[in-house]
Amino acid sequence: MSTRIVVDPITRIEGHLRIEADIEDGKIKDAYSSGTMVRLLEKILLGRDPRDAWAFVGRACGVCTTVHSLASCRSVEDALDIVVPPNAELVRNIMFATQYMHDHTVHFYHLHALDWVDVVDALNADPKKTSELAQSISHWPKSSPGYFSDLQKRIKKFVESGQLGIFANGYWGHPAYKLPSEVNLIGLAHYLEALEWQKEIVKVHTIFGGKNPHPNYLVGGMACSIGLDDASAINAERLAYVGTLLQQGKEFIEQVYIPDLLAIASFYPEWTKIGGGLGNYLVYGDLPTNGYRDESSFKLPSGVILNKNLNEVLDADVRDNDEIQEFIHNSWYEYSTGDESGLHPWKGETNLKYTGPKPPYDHLNFDEKYSYLKTPRWKGHAMEVGPLARMLVGYARGREDFKEVVDSALSKLNVPATALFSTLGRTAARGLETQLIIQWAMEFYEQLLTNIRNGDTRMADTSKFDPKHWPDQAQGVGHMEAPRGALAHWIVIEDKKIKNYQMVVPSTWNASPRDANGKLSAYESSLVDTPVANEEQPLEILRTIHSFDPCMACAVH
Amino acid sequence: MKTVRLRRVYVWQMPVRIFHWINALCILVLGVTGYLISNPPVFLSNAEASNSFWFGTNRFIHFTTAYIFLSMLIMRLYWAFVGNKYASWRNFIPINKKFIQKIGGVLKHDILLLKTEEDVSIGHNALAGFSYFMFFLLTLIMIVTGFGLYADSSTWFLPKLFAWVPALFGGDYLVREIHHVTMWILVVFILIHLYLVFLHDQYEGRGETSAMISGYKFIEEEVIEKQKEERQIERIA
Amino acid sequence: MNSTSTKRPTYYEELRRKGYSRREFMQFCTMIAAYMGLEANGVAQVSEALMSHPRVPVIWLHFQECTCCSESFIRSSHPMVADIILDKISLDYTETLMAAAGHQAEAAMEKTMKDSYGEYVLCVEGSVPVYEDGAYCCIGGRSAVDILDEAAAGAKAVIGWGSCACNGCVQAASPNPTGATPIHKLIKGKPIIKVPGCPPIGEVMAGVLVHLVTFGRIPELDRIGRPKAFYSKRVHDSCYRRPFYDAGLFVESFDDENAKKGYCLYRVGCKGPTTYNACGIMRWNDGVSYPIQSGHGCIGCSEENFWDNGSFYTRVPNFPGFGIESNADKIGIAAAGLTAAGLTAHAVGTRLKRKKEHDKILEEGIDNANELN
Ligand code: HEM
Ligand code: HEM
Ligand code: NFV
Ligand code: SF4
Ligand code: SF4
Ligand code: F3S
Ligand SMILES: [Mg+2]
Repeated sequence: MSTRIVVDPITRIEGHLRIEADIEDGKIKDAYSSGTMVRLLEKILLGRDPRDAWAFVGRACGVCTTVHSLASCRSVEDALDIVVPPNAELVRNIMFATQYMHDHTVHFYHLHALDWVDVVDALNADPKKTSELAQSISHWPKSSPGYFSDLQKRIKKFVESGQLGIFANGYWGHPAYKLPSEVNLIGLAHYLEALEWQKEIVKVHTIFGGKNPHPNYLVGGMACSIGLDDASAINAERLAYVGTLLQQGKEFIEQVYIPDLLAIASFYPEWTKIGGGLGNYLVYGDLPTNGYRDESSFKLPSGVILNKNLNEVLDADVRDNDEIQEFIHNSWYEYSTGDESGLHPWKGETNLKYTGPKPPYDHLNFDEKYSYLKTPRWKGHAMEVGPLARMLVGYARGREDFKEVVDSALSKLNVPATALFSTLGRTAARGLETQLIIQWAMEFYEQLLTNIRNGDTRMADTSKFDPKHWPDQAQGVGHMEAPRGALAHWIVIEDKKIKNYQMVVPSTWNASPRDANGKLSAYESSLVDTPVANEEQPLEILRTIHSFDPCMACAVH
Repeated sequence: MKTVRLRRVYVWQMPVRIFHWINALCILVLGVTGYLISNPPVFLSNAEASNSFWFGTNRFIHFTTAYIFLSMLIMRLYWAFVGNKYASWRNFIPINKKFIQKIGGVLKHDILLLKTEEDVSIGHNALAGFSYFMFFLLTLIMIVTGFGLYADSSTWFLPKLFAWVPALFGGDYLVREIHHVTMWILVVFILIHLYLVFLHDQYEGRGETSAMISGYKFIEEEVIEKQKEERQIERIA
Repeated sequence: MNSTSTKRPTYYEELRRKGYSRREFMQFCTMIAAYMGLEANGVAQVSEALMSHPRVPVIWLHFQECTCCSESFIRSSHPMVADIILDKISLDYTETLMAAAGHQAEAAMEKTMKDSYGEYVLCVEGSVPVYEDGAYCCIGGRSAVDILDEAAAGAKAVIGWGSCACNGCVQAASPNPTGATPIHKLIKGKPIIKVPGCPPIGEVMAGVLVHLVTFGRIPELDRIGRPKAFYSKRVHDSCYRRPFYDAGLFVESFDDENAKKGYCLYRVGCKGPTTYNACGIMRWNDGVSYPIQSGHGCIGCSEENFWDNGSFYTRVPNFPGFGIESNADKIGIAAAGLTAAGLTAHAVGTRLKRKKEHDKILEEGIDNANELN
């Protein structure tokens, strides 16, 4: 007999995710993932000015802020045949890299770490030993015994106050926590440091986009003109500021995030065998260095891997009517073409139809529709997207830079490449890709300076900004790699207005309900076979789900 | 040949005339400066901002004119109660059946060109009177929305009296939109108004236009006699 | 020590324990007071408050949102969020950061609602969908409507974070398919502080929260419930590009020569003149920049309905149903043109119809003139 457990809300994610799982003999037999909040942006966009769309869809998510805005600008530029100037591409790439540095680090410390780090146990650590350990894995300056013992005192007082705040009711003391107290203390210290650090790196967005979250984008380029003689435009001071911020970001990631990641991972080898899931990976690729249309210039290569087969990388075409399709067999929508049909996003429909139980409810009915996420498929396959997919595709494509970071981590942890197909693999891939991203960010930054030095200060092409230059009918697609994976927006423009707008989002791929054939999507599939030691404290479910870094506001939009 | 005897009648008292022309001037200025506020021309120049203030000046003129405009309207409102019969508020608001019938009459005769017998008036004809009432409502909208927008830029109590306006409309944006659109309605009103004034002048030959300058209209003797009789009957009744 | 009768440490105790001197503590109070725009005697109030109160429990609910308000909050530089959540408030429930999940998370919230009834501060991020019995946003199988109702009942005060909670934001934009509703329309009989913006500035959020927990009362609000300190000025009133505006020097299209010179963005759609927010004064992310400084006009993100107030790139209001290229001026010009055409036609019509009478009048005039010859 299996028991059905419910974890809702799944916390330390973005948005509203509900997991129900059938547990038998201490293992998950079947799992259901449901997104329980909907806003229907795709409907709200209809009839609006395509140039405004970036702001609307940007509000899909404030965690992976910027990514939808970029995808949207690309889709409109694609439809209207606009090519952004090289500087705009570089600024967009730098903002992209900043987003990864922020999002991945915050995910690791603030959304994921408490699955591995036992905060309360940190009180048992010996500050001196902690200091020695910290210094052995990194030369980050804040690691004196005094530093750790002050922190410990602060936390002790906090715990003794009886008001545990965000740490209340955690699964402290759960047998699945395996870290020595000293590592727990380091983790906690860096949790707090990262909280302070993250507000700095986003200032790159503030400089180019005016604010963060939700910096401004512009169809045709970027709005931040380069004006070396103006106090407020992008001038020498602003550029130097960006350089400093990137450098500081790099230091924190290389000296804190990556060493912590590897240290913590080394205590959880069993998690390289759990949570692998689908084994199908999809990447659209990103970081163009010669324009969005030239995919061969992408720093992050595109590709598809099926059945964990790293010897073959297939190509995906987002424009092909038969490749990417969305299904709603198990989703609270209806299609005019029938609920069993699959629609390519250019022809996509978003007609809400809730058929679930009237709240309050104890369980959803999984024989029927059970989520606000649609179910995307590539040539009928369920695909996993995200950092792991990107690292695998780059690795399988034989890219040297990818091989270097991946192989070095594998050898440090002393595990084979197959260890990547797991919960821990996903978490590790996120850190490894951040390392690559930093290197590239520095390159983009240097290139931007070189361009300006050579007299190219163009930041936007506005020759087609005025709708009078647009055709009566146009369609485009803006694809990109968001931190959580492959993201694309498809737009249809008619009479200068949005006729159709469809977003297929990374977390939609991963967190979607099963399809009509009963094929599970990534979350559900990776949960199957996961051991659960204590049904009352489903820590293991959190670990695997968090390894995907769920974003449900994105997923449903 | 029949001779028409015209008599000079003092219709528009001085305050009405002053109001009228200052009002017309204000609206012209407000319209032009307002339009420039909404749609300023772009000058490609190397001027330093500190040496130039034309847009600020433009707004300053708009706001100053707004105050003059408001005071004129208040003056006219006062005069609607103390001025002569032709200045009275009764000319504007269709309070009785007769007023409404007269509006119908003017409509049929002047506008739709159906009736041939016209109901000749001395002051405003009924339709004109009513349209001025609508005009005053439009100016009220301009004042309420204008001072509402202005309230937060001012420390004086008068604009502050209108601070509730943006709150009511959920922010400045809609208020500004109403202010802007109402300007266009006023433009349409003015076009029609000018046309009708000239039309009447042309077809009735009573010196309609100059009346707003001199105050005197030239009214047919029989019309004056007829109206006297009517007054007599009203008094007895 | 006299104020230790309560088990929870006060801010003062916290600070002393962290090694700050009393003098430093008073300096800190002065700074906070200045930051909040208080008079000199406010310092005493602040220090008094910090010395005698334990950490205030806070429940932070998440509904129809994008979580950028939480993200913005953690960007606050002064005070810093680690200090707020460790020393100033007890953040007992927030789905974004809390360790517990599922039943344990719900239990944490229930405990606060029960133990601190009438004491806790309720923060709400996101709007509440009211259609379909509230099924468009459910947490733990309960609708947002239901959860908000229960949580508001025992709250001492409510803070609405961001445009979502304050006016429905993007999901409430036309046609608002889920019935997204701002919280002030659902909560009755509780003081609500609206902190609009998409998102609001992090330091503004932290400032409002700290004000509330430090003084135990609500900051002064304006007519529509926003803290006056941060929302009493238009972006335009404090914009550093204002001299260009007054000088009539405008950017005509993005990245043109005028843009490189930092001219005013009015003509490319800046909504600063109709937007109430502190961006021009405080700027974003610890004062680094704000939209206008980075070359894009203000889109009016703290204003009600800003999504439906026309395109972000035009100044003159657009009209729904007339296509995106029509605006009030085009329609106005057309209306004036039509009127002029109508009047011309009417003039001709009148001439034709009243020709006889008219000619008679004119002839009489000519006759009279002839008589005088
Ligand atoms: C017939 C009367 C008026 C006309 C035709 C007129 C016209 C206009 C127009 C077209 C605008 C530009 C609106 C936009 O940007 O879309 C404007 C702005 C404005 N008007 Fe008027 N207006 C009139 C009376 C007033 C009055 C009585 C006031 C009272 C103070 C006023 C105050 C303002 C203000 C404050 C603005 C906004 C200016 C700014 O913030 O830069 N207006 N007006
Ligand atoms: C901005 C332009 C104008 C506006 C807003 C305007 C408005 C008005 C108003 C409100 C009245 C009613 C006056 C009262 O009873 O106090 C009126 C009457 C009148 N206006 Fe104008 N006026 C304008 C321009 C002109 C011009 C340019 C002329 C002549 C050339 C003119 C001639 C007259 C005459 C003759 C009357 C009396 C009409 C009657 O007998 O009913 N107006 N106007
Ligand atoms: N899934 C997702 Fe996003 C990302 N990364 C967007 O496309 O999180 Ni908010
Ligand atoms: S108000 Fe804006 S920023 Fe805040 S949650 Fe809503 S959409 Fe996000
Ligand atoms: S840029 Fe915007 S806010 Fe600044 S002065 Fe110009 S219109 Fe006003
Ligand atoms: S868009 Fe928003 S961030 Fe400020 S400048 Fe305008 S209110
Ligand atoms: Mg979609």
